[in-house]
Amino acid sequence: MKAFEYQRAGSVGEAIRSASDGSKFLGGGTNLVDLMKYNVEEPSKLIDVTRLPLAKIEDLPGGGLRIGALVKNSDLAADHRVFERYRMLSQAILNGASPQLRNLATTGGNLMQRTRCGYFYDTAFPCNKRTPGSGCSAIQGQNRMHAILGQSDACIAVNPSDMCVALAALDAVIQVEGPKGKRSIPILEFHRLPGDTPNLDTNLGHGELIWAVDLPPLPKEVQTHYVKVRDRNSYAFALTSAAVGMHVGGVDPTIRAARIALGGVSHKPWRAQEAEKALVGMPATRESFRHAAEFALTGAKGYEHNDFKVELAKRTIVRAFMDLVVGLA
Amino acid sequence: MGLADIGALAPDFDLDDGSRKRLSDLRGQPAILVFSPDTWDPALPQQFEQYSELLARFDEPAGLVHFARDGSWCETENQRIPIFRPGNDVLKAYGAEGQQAIFVIDSEGTIQWKHVAQPGVHPKLDDVAREIERIRKGKNLSRRDFLVTAAAASIVLVALPHLSKATGLSLQTKEPNAKSVTLKVNGKAHKLEIDSRVTVLDALRERIGMTGTKKGCDHGQCGACTVLIDGRRANSCMVLAMQAEGQEITTIEGLAKGEELHPVQEAFIKHDGFQCGYCTPGQIMSAVACIHEGHAGTDEQIKEWMSGNICRCGAYNGIVEAVKEANAAMGGHK
Repeated sequence: MKAFEYQRAGSVGEAIRSASDGSKFLGGGTNLVDLMKYNVEEPSKLIDVTRLPLAKIEDLPGGGLRIGALVKNSDLAADHRVFERYRMLSQAILNGASPQLRNLATTGGNLMQRTRCGYFYDTAFPCNKRTPGSGCSAIQGQNRMHAILGQSDACIAVNPSDMCVALAALDAVIQVEGPKGKRSIPILEFHRLPGDTPNLDTNLGHGELIWAVDLPPLPKEVQTHYVKVRDRNSYAFALTSAAVGMHVGGVDPTIRAARIALGGVSHKPWRAQEAEKALVGMPATRESFRHAAEFALTGAKGYEHNDFKVELAKRTIVRAFMDLVVGLA
Repeated sequence: MGLADIGALAPDFDLDDGSRKRLSDLRGQPAILVFSPDTWDPALPQQFEQYSELLARFDEPAGLVHFARDGSWCETENQRIPIFRPGNDVLKAYGAEGQQAIFVIDSEGTIQWKHVAQPGVHPKLDDVAREIERIRKGKNLSRRDFLVTAAAASIVLVALPHLSKATGLSLQTKEPNAKSVTLKVNGKAHKLEIDSRVTVLDALRERIGMTGTKKGCDHGQCGACTVLIDGRRANSCMVLAMQAEGQEITTIEGLAKGEELHPVQEAFIKHDGFQCGYCTPGQIMSAVACIHEGHAGTDEQIKEWMSGNICRCGAYNGIVEAVKEANAAMGGHK
């Protein structure tokens, strides 16, 4: 690990003012410290923000929630309001990492989680995300875990977060503060597709600090569910995952509203809004969900080892909705 | 008198890295030449870590420089160190045939210090450190100017048991970002002067000397390093020691009350919750938390909530039984 200066921030203002070229904010460290051990991340300064008073979950007027950036993943998943109102978020978090990692990992840190692409981690290999212009080793390499939607010739890495998939389906809003003041970033505009600049994971500016994540209210009638498919039963990154929500109503029950976001398939949590629209007015049947799933995977492209994900992602969507229908969720 | 004596010019040879350079081309910067046994040596990464650590004391961070052509390498925590295989003539010139040998060569190419001994007999790291420091002071060089080449001789497997004690931590060279930190471990305060890179795990094991907490993967994947921080289980390899200042750290050493084992410890023994035992301290700390969290009600629950602790021996059945029984013994948290 490269030497760095450690600084503990006493306030949000101090943290932002302390940001300099080469500095990083340190949350739970479960990703950043790991990447530093591999010399993938080499910050000159770590600004420890974990003692800032941002670890509360508060009700927002209208039924939403404001999650402090330092709320631990385990606390967020266990919060009864999250469990009752935004069940998919609780499920997604509990499907990620391990209990001891979730005790360290923060909400803000999870949003900043970097890809687990093996070539990104291994500094002996070319990687456009780590070293822009050096090439992508995954396209012709071991790409079983890689992207099938929204990738570019420069990068086929996936965002590894489960939490962010649920946040994408829930239209979360990321609250940030930086040298130029405060701003709000809708979750779908927070993460980036790789394009020609896969080195940039998010649209967060340097020195901008995430201080909260807002969840807009979700109508009570909307039931949500998260399904993750992985190589092990527990403690593994997603091959595919789906965060779905559905409101079924009326005398001749049809789908009034739907939410679909996919994980394990793209450089960012992948919201499938066209597929959601395709469900509205349809009966809540396997056929409807399959139809929507086809929509959701429009344009999907697999590689040598991850071709199977195209079909798997469709089935993951169908399975998640069917769990809701049969009351397994 | 061999060719490679102290005060003599280091015998020249091809660096074998495809650059067509020879050792003599490196003059202008001192070098440490390490001859290690050719056979696979599980302790080799540790040895190189220690040289790496040693050099890290001096100045701005920089990587070691190494040479290799044949693709063999030694993987340390942070890097792959290529290993090259010199011809017998080189080994002969250095008197390193069948030996464990280290040469410190100054920037003029003169051998300043050497250690040649049987495989497994390593120099004290402090001696090497002192020698480097002497040259560095004499020439006003930074660590960046140093160079380590790793060479392999053709001999037997060795182990390096005593090197783990001689990690060079007694070296007085100032660490670049050292600060005073007080860690509270099992109710006792430990004041440490440590670099910002030190994790809670390394602080416990290498600085405080509490080796009950194990280093498995060092990347938050295996759970062997699990401790409680403010009562909650955490991977101590992922937490910087400076971050944990003021927090209550509980390790495996803090569970028993004198001779009386903690119920989870008792249960692991009774149910054979281990084979080799390396993951066990982490398993036990995790199990203690799992029970307190109320996540040990059923087998399925235990399997899910203990999934952050990997056991390569596959003692999982015993572990589940142990956690289940300890849960009942501790009042059956549900």
